Amino acid sequence: MQMIEMILSPLLALIIGIFFLGLSRKIMARIQWRYGPPITQPVIDVIRLFSQKSVSHGKLFNLGIIFSLAGSLVLVLFLPLAQICPLSGSGGMLVILYMMLLAPLGIALSGGESANPNTSIGISRKFILALGYEVPLLLILLALMTHYKTISIVHIVSIQQNTGWAFVSLPLLLSGIAYVLILPAILGIRPFEVVQASQEISSGPMAEYGGPFLALATIQHALSLFIGIALFVNLFLGGAGNLLIFFLKMLVVFVLVLFVNAALPRLRIEQAVKYLWRWPTLLAFIGMIIVLIVRR
Amino acid sequence: MSLELLLIIAFGGAIVTYLLGKISCRIREGFAVLISLSLVVMIACLYGENGTESIYFHFLGLPLIMRTNMLSWFFAMAVSALGALSVIFSLNYMKNRERTDFYYLMLLMVNASMLGIIFSGDLISFFIFWEMMSWSTFLLISYNRGPAVAAGLKYIIMSIIGSMAMLVGVLSLYATYETLNMATLAELIGSASSGYLLFLLIIFSIAFAIKNALMPLHTWLPAAYAEAPTPFNGVLSGMLTRMGMYGFLLIMYVIVGATRALNLGSGLFKFHYILAWLGAITIVIPTFIAILQDDAKKLLAWSAVGQGGYMIVGIAVGTNLGLSGGIFHTLNHAIYIVLLFMCVGAIQYRTGGERDLNSLGGFIKKMPFTFIGTLLGISGLVGIPLTNGFVSKWLIYKTLILEGYPFLAFAALIGTWGCILYCYKFIHHIFLGQLPGKYQNVQKAPFSMLLPMIILSFAILFFGILPGIPLKIIDTIGTSFGFKSMNVTIWGIASETGTLNTINIFAAVLIVSIIAWLMLKIGPKAVSVAQEDTYAAGAAIPKDKYHYTVDFYNPLYRMITPYLKDFIDAFYMKFAHWIQSLCNGTRRVYTGYVGNYVMYIVLFLALLIFIRLKWSL
Repeated sequence: MQMIEMILSPLLALIIGIFFLGLSRKIMARIQWRYGPPITQPVIDVIRLFSQKSVSHGKLFNLGIIFSLAGSLVLVLFLPLAQICPLSGSGGMLVILYMMLLAPLGIALSGGESANPNTSIGISRKFILALGYEVPLLLILLALMTHYKTISIVHIVSIQQNTGWAFVSLPLLLSGIAYVLILPAILGIRPFEVVQASQEISSGPMAEYGGPFLALATIQHALSLFIGIALFVNLFLGGAGNLLIFFLKMLVVFVLVLFVNAALPRLRIEQAVKYLWRWPTLLAFIGMIIVLIVRR
Repeated sequence: MSLELLLIIAFGGAIVTYLLGKISCRIREGFAVLISLSLVVMIACLYGENGTESIYFHFLGLPLIMRTNMLSWFFAMAVSALGALSVIFSLNYMKNRERTDFYYLMLLMVNASMLGIIFSGDLISFFIFWEMMSWSTFLLISYNRGPAVAAGLKYIIMSIIGSMAMLVGVLSLYATYETLNMATLAELIGSASSGYLLFLLIIFSIAFAIKNALMPLHTWLPAAYAEAPTPFNGVLSGMLTRMGMYGFLLIMYVIVGATRALNLGSGLFKFHYILAWLGAITIVIPTFIAILQDDAKKLLAWSAVGQGGYMIVGIAVGTNLGLSGGIFHTLNHAIYIVLLFMCVGAIQYRTGGERDLNSLGGFIKKMPFTFIGTLLGISGLVGIPLTNGFVSKWLIYKTLILEGYPFLAFAALIGTWGCILYCYKFIHHIFLGQLPGKYQNVQKAPFSMLLPMIILSFAILFFGILPGIPLKIIDTIGTSFGFKSMNVTIWGIASETGTLNTINIFAAVLIVSIIAWLMLKIGPKAVSVAQEDTYAAGAAIPKDKYHYTVDFYNPLYRMITPYLKDFIDAFYMKFAHWIQSLCNGTRRVYTGYVGNYVMYIVLFLALLIFIRLKWSL
């Protein structure tokens, strides 16, 4: 049974992630009064990319992208998708937090070997942005773990299914709001689209990828989109009893985030970090104190 | 195996090495390696032994006692193994330099005195070995004259302040209990008042906090690490600085005892709680300072200050998980920081001493093994799953979260995220990016440098995938302090509030990586191109060095630099300056003229007579 889950959960993540990519292009197009590409366009792109030529800058250039994709795929195994969670008892939230590092680190190592200035700028921005949103994110996650007295994400989900969503429970309300405020930064979309900023630094870390490399990078991007939203659904919207509800919850969150993406322009990296370290951090900090008071 | 013999070999070996150096360099080097390796073997044979022996009875009327148990074995093993690797690494690095005899003498002397500290069974021998260690370290830090002397002076002054504080503590213990035997003290101290215990802990903590570079007593470390000879950096950062950790364990959990040490003070102002907060501050601030550094060794030095904070937080929380995490992190940190310093050493060796990150780059193709070592080293430092650093940090985070110290956990976690920034900067600036033209002909590091690096890289993965092996030993230490035993399995920790299973993670990562690799293989084979052949949206990229390596995190620097001056160091320097001018003023009294001195005497006598007459005493 566990073996089937092991195969099923990354596959599901992949399908949902790619579907979201297609959906985002369609919705963005409609918001901008365009017709937009068919929803299956990313699938077609990935298949096409696998047959195209590419360049490589060395061993680490190849390994880094594998490392990054592997990191995202393993991370999916730690996330509960409705009731499916193949690696529930192997380290909990702390491993998830660390696994979230692997994907950007892999891309950074890979991109670092190509001596491309755009890549360098993108990587530098990615790490600064990550430091920016990790400050509130860690406060939020710690508030959650302290409140539920567990470091296992499966427990957090099951407690919420018994007692109601964390987002609407009073002690965690502020943390939930802070999470919503930083969600676009975690997903790397506008107004926090500083890393890939295609008009500025020609896709940043992606600049040197082509062919199969770009295909893997796209798959990784889809997975990270999936992970960002699934984490929020699990932690604050109570996960789900079955896959359909889980998917619907994810879809609602994603569409709402897309509206933000469509409405706001891109910030500069300093502005982004200043924003992240101001309001979301303040809310998360107060949320944490409330949790501590309730716990006493 | 007698401990006395062990110490005689350690110290005697150092002196014989020095004398052999007068005959031939080859013999000296061979003998130094032999001595350090035989120490490793001898200490490994001590595994599981518990015992004490008196080696000398009449030092100021006190017996000098040596003792061994699991705690000493653990630290001694780390000291001797890392010491041996550092000696092997030195062979090539120190070749053709001046005063090498003296270098080897001092290196082996530092190792020997650390072993002395670890095996001491009473506080007087502990103090003696502690001083020997401080002085020989001072001589090694100042080995490369120039700025190194200033760094060494800073170190030795702070070290002396620490030892004096410790001496006060030792004397006060002797005055109260008339013994300095640790085992006896641990029994007698039960009757002490909590005020006295607090005094003891604080006075000893000053000494150990200086050695362990706990903020605000860290200021000696960055300069000392940056200026010391690089092979010695391994010993210095790996174990010598962590003698402070050993000291903390000794005073808190061996002498004062866990139950008493964890109940001093009230409410939020408990001793161990304040110590943990100092540790948390030590994690966060140095991490951000490390991001700003452009000197490879300074970057590692600040990172070492920061990592020291994790160990302090771990042992100060006072739970079995925290204690194990703290002790395990001491070992893990030693492994990867020694490895990273060796990598810097190899680069310095091949480039003629270059350690400015901005002038290096692109070494991955020239020194691939050094690159792999650095990659594993920074993975351990960040704590990527399946490396050793992850397990110890996991233990510390878990206990902080479950015991209800979320803000401490936050400090620890944010330290890790800052750590990624400087780790990536470190590896990117040295190994990735463009290779400067002048380093086109750089060779691989020599074998005697690669060997220790390979061993340490292996250790990082081994302890990361099978953490149960060292954790079993650490668990024994924890239970000997009176903590509950953890449920250690070979691949991690099993418990109800969250288990760790590294084997599962390992298997998953392995399988998934193979899948990802196969996916990359599906498509046509990538064309290998030169590094300069990049897409820059029509702009020409300068061939030799593009400027984005310099000021890599520029937007962040602009934001955090104003807040991150080392105010504490500036304050100490100001204080030192003030003392100096005070002493200068006092010196003016000694004019050198006999007439003036006669005048002082006459004036003094006049004052005495005046007092006598006025109050008719």
